[in-house]
Amino acid sequence: MKKLLLVVIVLMMTGCAMFSPTPVKRNFPAVPSELMEACPDLKKTEPTEKLSEVLKVVVDNYGQYHECKIKVNTWVEWYNMQKNIFESVK
Amino acid sequence: MWMLSFVPDALLYTVVIGILFTGIALYIISFVTRFIPPLIPYSGIARILGTILTVVGIYFFGSYSTEIEWRARVAELEEQVKVSEAKSKEINIQIQKVYVDRVKVVKQTQIVIQEKIKEVEIKIDSECSKVAPEAVDILNEAAAGVKK
Repeated sequence: MKKLLLVVIVLMMTGCAMFSPTPVKRNFPAVPSELMEACPDLKKTEPTEKLSEVLKVVVDNYGQYHECKIKVNTWVEWYNMQKNIFESVK
Repeated sequence: MWMLSFVPDALLYTVVIGILFTGIALYIISFVTRFIPPLIPYSGIARILGTILTVVGIYFFGSYSTEIEWRARVAELEEQVKVSEAKSKEINIQIQKVYVDRVKVVKQTQIVIQEKIKEVEIKIDSECSKVAPEAVDILNEAAAGVKK
């Protein structure tokens, strides 16, 4: 009787291993296209003797830096938010 | 075995329970037939068949329990994935909007500053008579970001 019980338990346990889990396919979301554009190169000053011309280019470059900074910061924000959502599925 | 995932739960359960109880019934019948003389020759076969079916039935019952558990888990996961995908789409729209708004602010600030330069352009140029070409070169070198 004990042997029979042992056989039953072993059979039920091997039966448990008979099926493999169905995988649930998941993809990490795609980044918004705006964030995928590369930051442009800084502008160069044309040969000039006027300080105002130099200043205009410098100000433009500062602007470009700020745009690029926003892009990187938004990228990081986007990644962290999406990572949290992605990892919330367990 | 993955094909079993396409079989409905109720059908799978009926088949598994059917095999198990047929086996048990045959096993019991094999004992009863020992006392009925015309059926005595079939008693041994019924017992062997009953034992095999009972063992197979128990095996399948174990498999079935796991299969049902996995199906429930998969359904739960699929639901969670659906919710997370919807959330993620919403976040993408929000992020896009936030990005566009932030860039807009920077561009507007740029316009305001460029206007300010235009206003004081003559004053700046008159007070600083001449920018040395070396200063422009150094600035351009710095803007290039690559050492020459």
